[in-house]
Parts: sequence; C-alpha cells; structure tokens
Amino acid sequence: MEYIKYKRGHSSDIQRGTSCKGVSNNIIKKFSITGKIGITIVFLFLLIGIFSNCISLHPYNVPSGSSLESPSLVHWLGTDDLGIDLWAQICFGARVSIMVGFGTALLAGLGGSLIGIFSGYFGGLTDKVIMRLTDMMIVLPDLPVMIVLGAFFGPSVRNIIIVLALFSWTAPARIVRSKVISVKEEKYVTAAKSYGANFWHLTIRHFLPNILPIVMVSIIQLVSRAIVAEAGLAFLGLGDPTSKSWGLVLNHAINFRGIYFTDYWKWWVVSPIAAITLLVTAMAFIGRDVEKIVNSKI
Amino acid sequence: MGKGLLKKASEYLITFFIIITLNFFIPRLMPGDPFTFLSSEEGQITVTYTEEQIDKYKAYYGLDKPLFVQYASYITNLFKGNLGYSIYYNDSVVRIIGKRIPWTVSIVIISIILSCLVGTILGSWSAWHRNGIPDKVIYAVMIPISEIPSFLIGILFLFILAAKQGIFPLSGGISTFAEYNNPAEKAVDIIHHAVLPVLTLSMTRLGEFYLLSRNSMVSVLSKDYIRTAKAKGLNKVRIIFRHALKNAMLPIVTRVFLSLGAIFGGAILVENVFSYPGLGRLMREAVMVRDYVLIQGIFIFMAVMVLTMNLLADILYVKLDPRVS
Amino acid sequence: MFWRIKNIIIAIVLAGLMLTEIAGCSNSERTVNKDNESSKPVVISLEGGDWGYPTPFSHYSRGPGVFKMTLIFDSLLERGEKGYIPWLAEKWDISKDGLEYTFTLKENVKWHDGEPMTAEDVKFSFEYFAKHPPVSNDLTVDGKSFIKSVEVVDAKTVHIKVEKPLAIILGKIGNARIIPKHIWEKVDDPRKFNTPEAVIGTGPFVLKDYRKEQGAYKYEAFKDFWGPKPKVDILQFIPVSDSVLAFDKGEIDITGITPDILSKYEGNREYKVMKNPAFWGYRLIFNMEKRAELKDKEIRKAFAYAIDKNELVEKVARKAAVPGSAGYLPVDHIWYNKGVKNYQFNIDKAKALLKGRKMSFNLLIGNSNAEIRIAELLKISLAKAGIEINVKSVDMKTRDAAVKKGNYEIVLTGHGGWGNDADLLRTMYAKEKTSNQSPSADGIPGYSNEQINELCKLQLIEMDPAKRKDIIFKLQELIAEEIPQIPLYNTTGYIVYRPYKYDGWKYMFDHHEVTHNKLSYLDVK
Repeated sequence: MEYIKYKRGHSSDIQRGTSCKGVSNNIIKKFSITGKIGITIVFLFLLIGIFSNCISLHPYNVPSGSSLESPSLVHWLGTDDLGIDLWAQICFGARVSIMVGFGTALLAGLGGSLIGIFSGYFGGLTDKVIMRLTDMMIVLPDLPVMIVLGAFFGPSVRNIIIVLALFSWTAPARIVRSKVISVKEEKYVTAAKSYGANFWHLTIRHFLPNILPIVMVSIIQLVSRAIVAEAGLAFLGLGDPTSKSWGLVLNHAINFRGIYFTDYWKWWVVSPIAAITLLVTAMAFIGRDVEKIVNSKI
Repeated sequence: MGKGLLKKASEYLITFFIIITLNFFIPRLMPGDPFTFLSSEEGQITVTYTEEQIDKYKAYYGLDKPLFVQYASYITNLFKGNLGYSIYYNDSVVRIIGKRIPWTVSIVIISIILSCLVGTILGSWSAWHRNGIPDKVIYAVMIPISEIPSFLIGILFLFILAAKQGIFPLSGGISTFAEYNNPAEKAVDIIHHAVLPVLTLSMTRLGEFYLLSRNSMVSVLSKDYIRTAKAKGLNKVRIIFRHALKNAMLPIVTRVFLSLGAIFGGAILVENVFSYPGLGRLMREAVMVRDYVLIQGIFIFMAVMVLTMNLLADILYVKLDPRVS
Repeated sequence: MFWRIKNIIIAIVLAGLMLTEIAGCSNSERTVNKDNESSKPVVISLEGGDWGYPTPFSHYSRGPGVFKMTLIFDSLLERGEKGYIPWLAEKWDISKDGLEYTFTLKENVKWHDGEPMTAEDVKFSFEYFAKHPPVSNDLTVDGKSFIKSVEVVDAKTVHIKVEKPLAIILGKIGNARIIPKHIWEKVDDPRKFNTPEAVIGTGPFVLKDYRKEQGAYKYEAFKDFWGPKPKVDILQFIPVSDSVLAFDKGEIDITGITPDILSKYEGNREYKVMKNPAFWGYRLIFNMEKRAELKDKEIRKAFAYAIDKNELVEKVARKAAVPGSAGYLPVDHIWYNKGVKNYQFNIDKAKALLKGRKMSFNLLIGNSNAEIRIAELLKISLAKAGIEINVKSVDMKTRDAAVKKGNYEIVLTGHGGWGNDADLLRTMYAKEKTSNQSPSADGIPGYSNEQINELCKLQLIEMDPAKRKDIIFKLQELIAEEIPQIPLYNTTGYIVYRPYKYDGWKYMFDHHEVTHNKLSYLDVK
C-alpha cells in the first residue's frame, strides 16, 4: 500500500508516504477541539434527524396546541401560527436539511469527481469540453438560474437536490482533474499503464486513493453550502413548501406580517436560524480540520 | 502568449453563445406566460386580460411566431445591441437595466474591495500569529461568519441597526424626493443607504478572503527568504506587506474576480431584504411575471460581467505569476 | 509604514462616523421643520413600489398600478361609498330599451395642460380604446366590445349606442378613462408612449416625478381641478422594506397591520384603526372534467362540511378575515344574501355524505405562505373525513397557467374583485363559453347547471336594479346549494393611520383599499 506518493509541489513540504487506513484512523485524533465539537454537533443533528419521531412529543405536521404559544414544558420551543410544535418541526427539519445537504454534496462530489477523472485522464477534446462546461457553470450566477430552474422543475426535495448538485459539481471536478493530471505523470502510474492497465484499473488502484481525501474535503464543504442554498431558496419562496425544512420554517416566520412587533420572533425566528447556523458552522469546522489534515499529508 | 489569449477569447465567445442560447430557451420553457394573471398576492389586485387582449399582446411582442423565428430575431437584435422591449415593465430593457446597474455594481464592487481588504489584513495578521490566541479567536469567529447566509445577516442588520436603533434607513438606495443643497449631501445620503447592504455582502465574503489569505500567507511565511528577512530583524509589518503579501497576493486577486458570480447571487438576496433598487430585485420580479425579454437582458448582462472578470483574472494571472510565461 | 496604515484606517473610520453623524443631523432637522410649520402643505406618503408609468396603457396589470393611473385620469362616473356617483358626467339618461345612453358633461373641465375637456375627447377615448385596448379594459363584455357608436351631440353632450341592453353597462362606461384627444390622436403605439405628455389627464393629481427603479412616485394636486378641492397637496409613494416598520418611523402615513399587533395601536389616541371590507378571498375550484366523481353534489358537499373555515380564518388569517359564503358574494358585498345555506364544519356529516368512500385528490396551490398554510390545514381536516389530499405547490404563474388550461384536479387560488358587480357570478358559474374578464377564467370546468345558467342570463338583461337584486339573491341560494366551488375566506385586514396627520380615508363601495380611492384625497363631505 505504498502507492500514495504525492508529487513534489512548489512548497518545500517533506514528501511523506502513508497508508489509506492510517489516514482515516488518525483523522479523528488529529482534530482540533473545534473540530471535535463540530463532529459532536453534526452527530447530534443526525440522531435528531433520524429519530425525530421519538424525540419530539408532538407531530411535526399536525397542530398540537393553540397558535403561537410561547416556549413551555409542553412545547419546548413554542408553536407556530397553526399551533404546530416548533421543536418537532426543528427535529424533522434536521432530517430534511441533512438530506438536502448530504444528498447534494454526495451527488455533486461523486459526480464531479467522476467527471474530473474523465477530464484529467483523457485530456484532449473531452477535457476541453468539460472545462468549458465548468467555466460556464461558474460563470452563470447560480441563484438566478436556480430561480428559473426551480420555477421550471417545480419544487420538491429531490429536485432541489438535483438543482443544487447541478451547480456544485464543478468545484470537486476541477480539483480532481488537476490531481489526476499530476498523478497520471507519476512513474508508477506510467509504469502500470505500460503494462497494459486500463482506465478503470488505474482509476480504482491509483487515482481513487489519491483523490479520496480531497474529494472528502470538498464534499464536507458542499454540505453546508447546500443547506444554506436550500434555506435561501426557501427564503425567496422557491423551496419545497411541503418539505418543512428549516429554511421553510424560517420563511414562514419571517413572512408572518408584523413578526418583529410581536414576541413570536423570539422562538419562531430564532430557533431555525440557530439550527441552521449551528449545523453549518459545525460542518465548517469539520471541513477545515479535515482539509488541514489532508493538506499536511501532502 | 498572444495566440493563447486569442484562443482563450474564442473559448469565451463560445461559452457566451451557449449562455445566450440558454437565456432564450430557459425562460420560455417555464410554465405560464407574461399575460395570464388570474390570481394575486394577498390583498393585492390584478387586471385579468381577455383572450382577445392576450392575442393582441402576443402579436405585438412577436410571441405568436414560431420559436425558432423568435430565436433568430433575438440573436440578430442582440448583435445590433438591441436587448428588446420589456413586456411587463413597458420600457426598453437597456434603459431598465441601465438604471439599475449603478446600484448593484457599486455595492458589489465596494463589498468585494472591502471584504478583500479586511479579509487580507486579518488573514495576514492571523498567519503571522499562527496558532496564537488572536489567530485562534479570529479563526473561530470567521468560520461561522463565512457560513451564515447573507439574507440572515441582512435581516439581523435590518432589524437591529435600522429598525430598533434607527441608525440606518430601512430600505431603498436614496432618500426619495429629498432635496439636497449640494452634491456632497446627496453622496452622503446614498452612502448612508448603501452601508447596510454593503456591510451584509462584505460580511458574507469576508470569511472566504480571510481563510484564503491566511492559508496563502502561512505557506509564504514558511519560505526561506521570509525566514531570512525575519532573521535579519526586519520590521514585522514590513515583512508582511512588502515581502510576504506580494507573493501571497496571487490567489487572492484571482479569487476577487472569480467570486463575482457568487456575489451577484448574494446581491439578489440582499437587495430583496433591503428593497435596494438593484438588478437582483428586478431579476426576481422578472422571473415572477415571466418577462422573457427582461430575463434575457439581465442574464446577458450578468454573463458578460462575470465572463469579463474571468478573462481579466486569466490575464492577471499570467501577468502576476512569475512561473507562467 | 504600519503606523501610516493605522492612521489612514483611523482617519477613514472617523470620516465615516462623521458622515453618518452629519446625515443623522440633517435628517432630524428636516423632520423637525416639517412638524413645526403647520401652514406647510399636506404631504402624504404611502408605500411605494414600481407599478408602471401611470397611463391607461402602460401601468402594470398586477398591483396598484390601476389606481395610480386613476389619480390622473378621470372617468364619467366615480365609485363612491354607496355606489356610482356623477363625476365627469354631471347627469345621464338611459333610453327605455336600454340601448342608448346620453351623458351630460361637467363644464369647465380642464386638462392638466390647460386645454378644455369636451365631448370630442370622450368620443375619441372610446374609439381609441376599441382600437388599442388599455390594460384595464372596461368597454367589453365577455371579451367583445359592446359599444356600437359614440356621437358628439354638442360640446358637453355625448350619445352612446350599445349593442345589447345589459344591466352592467352603465358601470362599465362610467369606469372607462377619458384621455385627451389632442395628445393621443398622434400616438400609434400607446404602450410605448411614455413621455410627460402621456400623463396629462383631468384628474385631481399631476404626476411630478416617477422613478421606476426606486418604485417612487410623486403627485401634486392639480390647481385647476374641476371638482372637489384636493385635501392633499403632495402625494408620494416611497419604497419601504417593511411597511409596519416604516409606519412606525413615520416614513409612511398608513399601513396594513395584522391582528397580532393590533393592540399596539388600538386604544391609542394617536392612531386610528379601520377594518377593510372583505373583498379579497381564497377559493377552492373543483375540476369536474378531470375528476368526474366531483360532479356528484354529495361529494362536493362533503368537502364543504369537512373544511373548517373558521379554523382557517383563525389560524392562517389570524382572524383578519370572514369565512367565505357558499353563495360566493362575500358578507360586505352590497348584494350579499345572508340566507344562503351555511355549511357548518361537521366531519360526521361529511362522512355520511361520502358513505364510506375513500378518495384521493391532487390539490394545486401557489407558493405563498398563506396558501401553503391553508393547504396544510385542509389536508389534515379532509383526511379526517376520508379524503386524502396530495398538495403540490408551484409559483403563482405556473398555477395560473394550470387554472387557465384546466390542468388540475382541485386548485386553490386567491384574488381580489369579490366586491365587483354581481355579474361576476355569471362569468364564474354560468356555462356558456364566457370570457375571462373576471379572475375566474372559464367558469368551473365540467360543471353546468341549467337553472344557474338561466338566472345568470336573466340578471344580465334586467335593467331594474330591485328586480335584478332579487335574481342575484336567488342565484346565491342556488349556488350555495350546488356548491360547485368553495369560497374559503375573505380577508378583511386592518389599516392604521395617524388621524392628526390626515384623516380623509374612505372606502369605495366595491373595493377594499382606502388608498386606492381617489375620494380619499379630496374634500367631499
């Protein structure tokens, strides 16, 4: 397992070889305190999302109290205008937001990587076309296009994931491409090629172990971006109104006329904002740490 | 290099062509048409056109012709510099967009400059004190800031600084119908209105520039010549700004140009929060009323803007990077 | 070097602080001045927003564009608090057969440019509108022009012949705007005519400034206005991000509020609160072409019983609404029949009507918050009766397109105009292929009822208002019994203003916005 040798970059970092297993084992240990806190928070949200039905005393879609009750022992975070428990909605929203976040990130990360590998390995016209395409996606201001696509495809969680992924695959694709190009020139790869190793073999044996860490970093970064983008779409009224994501709860709250002149905002606006901020920040801390660790390996 | 540039330029042209084609078809693929208004927002009213009126309007705007005929006339008009006449807003698209451009472009540019400057200074400082207390504190503050969506920051600002404290105006780009004694007063008024949108936009970009410059600086600061400079006992500020920053600048400068697309996107949300009279709000409206012509116009403007910036970034990269020749 | 930078930064920060300080000072001085001088002109500020250049041809079809245009352009009649009142026409006469209308115009009416307004202008306007329909076209019934000819008898008398004797014609003619012949006769493309000349009318206000990108308008009272004296000297529309915040800060002078913040203003002498008439509403339309089982009256009734309108009013509208009348015309309509069948929320009755049948429908809604909330509640309560609802939410335009094409099973839609002439029942419920002058588009897909069709036709040609009212009352009862669609609720909403600043707000008999009423700004009793 001594494949993972990295090409010497411009920096004078010491070249190091390490095993794949080693990386994953060491990662947690190498996390800073903030990173560990981040992991704990994300893990908690995951649990909340998965067991949302058990954690909350009330259903997330049926009124269980009167309208706009303030937080109490019965309704921990109060209720919204329909009298639906907000804690239940936040719990269920965790599921939706995490689904959108990770769904988008995985779809974009894996798809983008695959495209990147193609582009980097084959070069030539394939590369040209793909690079033009990524240029175009970067050039297109994402939000307006999302508005148009959202209006066209109609909002549903699945479509939102697809639309968001459509706009996020370029970053991993570019990173992976340049990595593959550099790995392609490595002696052991050219050697394997001369022995007749085909594309898939090279990809699985040589490229994947090399790009996995950087893909991981970009997937983690994409998660928070997707969660925020979904909230933004919901804020503009383009989310999936039946999904009950955090963005939608917030959208309902902010668009409640005169919300700032009442006390309702204290629980109705604050709780989804807190949830979004917390999860997104936690993801960011994890991302930074993973990036640091991966970079130190290079 | 000249040949390379030419090639690059032609690539950009192709990209541009694809974009303008997408611009034509995407809006027309959306369900609904510019003339059907059957429902309205709560408490609002709407005039509902009769079938005869709709036919008349369709003929008037050439929307009754086959799609490819419309496409052909769209392309020819485009080359003549004619972006058409807005269906909903009843004005020439160039004029409508022209009136909005200064607002959006100025807050976008000021925000980029501001976030880049502050981000770079903080990043450099942080990198110098790497792993010290200030670095850790700034780092821990910057990460959430870079992740919180712009509209949330905007709403927060609007609520605290404008509504509760009354330091800044609630909305708009300029005091409506105010009479000024001199141009300076007017400028102050405009700046006063722009503070919150600019601040919001800058905040969302600040983290990005901070992290970028910090990373870039950290790697530069570990270079031999910096170590030498340090050993020589040169002034800290001098080292940072004279030697290190010059070399760490490259990724920052290119990022400035590349982040333009994203910041335009952010401007849409922020303009909606502050009712700022820019392109972002117009864009949303145009999509809502299916004003095909105007949607095309705004997209083209944004695409040209961002493409130009990318091209500039490419050129600058070549100019600034000693390794690329 | 570091110090230099530091100094520069400090200087910039200081300068910035000073600038904001200066701005703050000058602002407060300005407002103080305004309050001190009582002889100053009355300036009313309202929530702005771009609704187009206020000519009859280029204001926007959505939103308050129409009313901004009507401030400038007068019509023969005006909509008062009780009904139509004489305006540019001093008096009028309708021939016995209902085919000829003679209007006598007010004297000494001047256009904003000083030219006198004459019968020629009226004739010209009507003929011009036939050629170039304005955005809001009153001179058609079912999409066809009903004007046969317009003759000028003398400078102040116009004689109009119409195609058919219809009950609604007087209101329609009365509502058409009069535009100056000497300006518009040269205009071939009115949609693109947006010079200052295009906003010359006879109305009480003159457009002084319009800033499209800001969404700001400034009107000034017209000195030579023929009619009641304008009580407002300057009327301006300014952009606001949140109207209640803006009202609180005194930036605008009237705003709509929700019941949740009512307590803040009610009982406070500084403010006055008014409740809007319920002329804006949501309804549920059944598509009986797509789902033939909805032709069964029992099922429609089951829907009506299984929907808790009071809950919708209480939760979604925050009590600022009234439950919809099954007979369609809302409580505040001048011809509302309070005797129509009332479907009290009753799940058991609904279940009994369904006879154990389980059904499932797709409900199409727009993406506004209220609609989403309504759909959520409908889903819950209908499920209790055994009707499963799948909600699909799309943006407004997509929904409207679906309504137009009949591409839905059940659709939720909201619109204004519920206070309009009762003829809207015909365009909404009668089957004969009608227009989409009213927001209903093409009636109710797949639904036709002989009796309703007959009564609708009758009321249209009944020229005696009292008799016509009887027919409309009967029609409402029939509609309530048939329940081909379900009016959910009509919003009332509250408005608040500062009476010491301005206290002239009045409603029109058929509209829910005081700010849209020209008479609100004029000195009429």
